Amino acid sequence: MKYLPLVWRNLGRNPLRSFLTAAAIALAIALVCILRTMPAGLDAVLASAAANTRISTHNEAGIVYSMPYAYLAKVRSVPGVVAAISWNWFGGAIDISKGVEFPNFAVDADGLAEVYADWGVDPKVFEDFRKYRDAALVGRATFEKHGWKVGDVITLQSTVFPVTLSFRIVGEVPTNGGSLYFQREYLAQALAAAGVQFDTLGMIWSRVDDPDRVGPVMRQIDEMFHNSEAITSTETEKSFIGNFFSGLKQLVTIIQIVAALVTLCIVFIAANTASMSIRERVGEIAILKAIGFRKQTIFTTLLAEAGLLALVAGIAGAATAWAMLKGLQMYATGAGPQLGPLTAFIVSRVILVQAVFIAFFIGILAGWVPAFGASRRSVAQTLREVF
Amino acid sequence: MIDLVNVSRLYHRGADEIHALERVSLHVDRGRFVALMGPSGSGKSTLLNALAGLDRPNSGEVTVAGKRLNEMSEDELAAFRAHTVGFVFQFFNLIPVLSAVENVELPLLLTNLSKAERRQRAETALRVVGLSDRADHRPRELSGGEQQRVAIARSIVTDAELIVADEPTGDLDAKNAEEILSLLQTLRRDFGKTVVIVTHDPRAEKWVDEVIHLDKGILLEKRPGGAARGAAGATG
Repeated sequence: MKYLPLVWRNLGRNPLRSFLTAAAIALAIALVCILRTMPAGLDAVLASAAANTRISTHNEAGIVYSMPYAYLAKVRSVPGVVAAISWNWFGGAIDISKGVEFPNFAVDADGLAEVYADWGVDPKVFEDFRKYRDAALVGRATFEKHGWKVGDVITLQSTVFPVTLSFRIVGEVPTNGGSLYFQREYLAQALAAAGVQFDTLGMIWSRVDDPDRVGPVMRQIDEMFHNSEAITSTETEKSFIGNFFSGLKQLVTIIQIVAALVTLCIVFIAANTASMSIRERVGEIAILKAIGFRKQTIFTTLLAEAGLLALVAGIAGAATAWAMLKGLQMYATGAGPQLGPLTAFIVSRVILVQAVFIAFFIGILAGWVPAFGASRRSVAQTLREVF
Repeated sequence: MIDLVNVSRLYHRGADEIHALERVSLHVDRGRFVALMGPSGSGKSTLLNALAGLDRPNSGEVTVAGKRLNEMSEDELAAFRAHTVGFVFQFFNLIPVLSAVENVELPLLLTNLSKAERRQRAETALRVVGLSDRADHRPRELSGGEQQRVAIARSIVTDAELIVADEPTGDLDAKNAEEILSLLQTLRRDFGKTVVIVTHDPRAEKWVDEVIHLDKGILLEKRPGGAARGAAGATG
């Protein structure tokens, strides 16, 4: 501890260089902290988005392949299934030149309120949805993005079916990202008028009465269609959404690898800075050795310089990451609800402590070689060379 | 105090062999002020480094304050330097980020003294060299002469028996050089230190007890300095 003032003063020798090195380390550490929140954050997003009694049935070949609409009645008849609805991707666009700006689906009005009882939608709204053939429910993000109000009429041109439909907005879905839902019956009538047969569905969503029965019900549904024209695959909502996110998780893995490489680059930068800093004062180090400082003491103090700088930078970086995500969370819970999922990305204490240790390790790694070299230089030789 | 017997030091510079010291034998009594003089490359600094425990001769024996330096490990030599030798160099060599008193305190970091004791001793050493009022100044705020006084204070703060100085007046004007030489003589006279300096400065001769001339690594001559002659004159 008695060498700490000496170590601290040496860090202040070239304040700009120390600051820039610390800033580079702090930035890398902030990046590492934020990326470290992603796996747990994505899990939390999945957990919050998925109900534990809702299951999805789709074509085993993939969700883009349809199934006969008759499957819906069979699923509804399975013991334990409280309600089930079909989904069809409509692919509607407000302006066809801009493409599909938000997901939109044709769904069965019967059973929607039961399957999505956790949506937080007023029963009166579900009632309106059933009552009006052209009714539409819109997720909050899309609702707010377009500045729509209940009662507004919007028109979507389908990119899948040869129809253009107008919808009357009857309410918003507060807990849903941004999808639009309308009655399958409305689409079926429009297609019939256009002379198009419509007897398929894209997906079936069902609500099971008891979480403990979810497994057996899923098995029973898939066994029911095992020898039919379209073999099904049924999974829980969490698993279904998780598969959607799997690509994102791979991306996160890649980002984490890149972050590790960035951290390695920072080690080299810090090592170069430490090396320059030590090289500039080989004479002073030789004087310290001359007056009796042992090489272990010299090595330790030089290493402590690099470690202390990195430690301070690490704390700053971790604090920055914490403050950034905290700020985003506050914004998401206040003025920016569309950023809601970000509240799941939390810089935990474990991440903060790990980040500070990583920073300290960077400093030690960066300082080791130059400190070791300087501590082993011969005093007499250095004095001859420098003075 | 200092005994060197047949000390030789050989350097390799590329394919060349440089005989910096050749079979030099020397004895310096405790409490003497000695100047090592000679042209550049004569082996003065090599001899100083050998007797201060900074460098190891290839052959011969070096005994200082009763300790045989040849047999010491690197850590033992460091401890020997910390306790027995005080160093003064030509270019002052103070740590620029530390104040004068902190520079003087540096060798005391190697002791078990408390912070308060270290500070007290450093202030005492600065008082001895007449720089009490400059204790909190950084080296860049001090003149060359003042910086060299701080370096001398640093060399005596551990109460080292032997003070070695390599060209202590080399970077000073005449007035400051005289003051530094006078201060080194005071250390010898009033505090009983053994002082060995390497110098090109002919003014040094009048302050020292003994002048040792070297050339090409060979000890050519030992003769009394001005201080010894003055003392002899005073007693004769």
